[in-house]
Amino acid sequence: MKIPYSVFPDGFGSHVYSVRLSVSVALPSPGAPRTKRFEAVIDSGATRCMFHSDIGRFLGLDITSGEKEITQGIGGLSDTYLHDIALYIPGGPVTIKAAFKDSLPIAALLGMNGFFEHFVVTFNQNALMCEIERVFRA
Amino acid sequence: MADEVFSGCGPWKVDVVSPENKIRLELLRSAPLNKWIALSEDESSIVAVGETYGEVSERSDLAGEADPVILKTPQEWAPLSV
Repeated sequence: MKIPYSVFPDGFGSHVYSVRLSVSVALPSPGAPRTKRFEAVIDSGATRCMFHSDIGRFLGLDITSGEKEITQGIGGLSDTYLHDIALYIPGGPVTIKAAFKDSLPIAALLGMNGFFEHFVVTFNQNALMCEIERVFRA
Repeated sequence: MADEVFSGCGPWKVDVVSPENKIRLELLRSAPLNKWIALSEDESSIVAVGETYGEVSERSDLAGEADPVILKTPQEWAPLSV
């Protein structure tokens, strides 16, 4: 699957690019309703997938009841809370342990654990195109 | 000029935004900051705005958009380093 880079304002009248994939999530129980599609950044720098807490609350999660995990980012340390969810991605859903955080400036990050482990991901900055190929393991 | 980016040490590369991305860029520039927004399925318009994911999801239903794409806008547009 080829994903064109998405453009965003840069705050200086110009623009920047990032790679975003529309995904949805649900509670990891059979038949659980899915969210509408939302944009998540494909982020090789993220250890695990992370979602804005609003999305978790919409699913009915009590965010702070999850296991607390302190993450280290560019801006320093911050608290996140872990919950199991079903992540709907190309090739079919996967159940992952995802982090939820109130102060995430975007809807979600797709990180190493939970996303990259299921794909071969190729970024091509010159073509402004990212290619993801699902890997199915026995 | 605003949507052309010069990069590298030379020869300089001119990055001209595609027509689709130009529409998206204008939409995002017009969107309220630090909100949840729903784009139409073809990403040509903003169909709903809300304070929370749940609010924008409900409002996109009310707007009659069956398959929106939902985004969260940041407090201000800036390069992302989470």
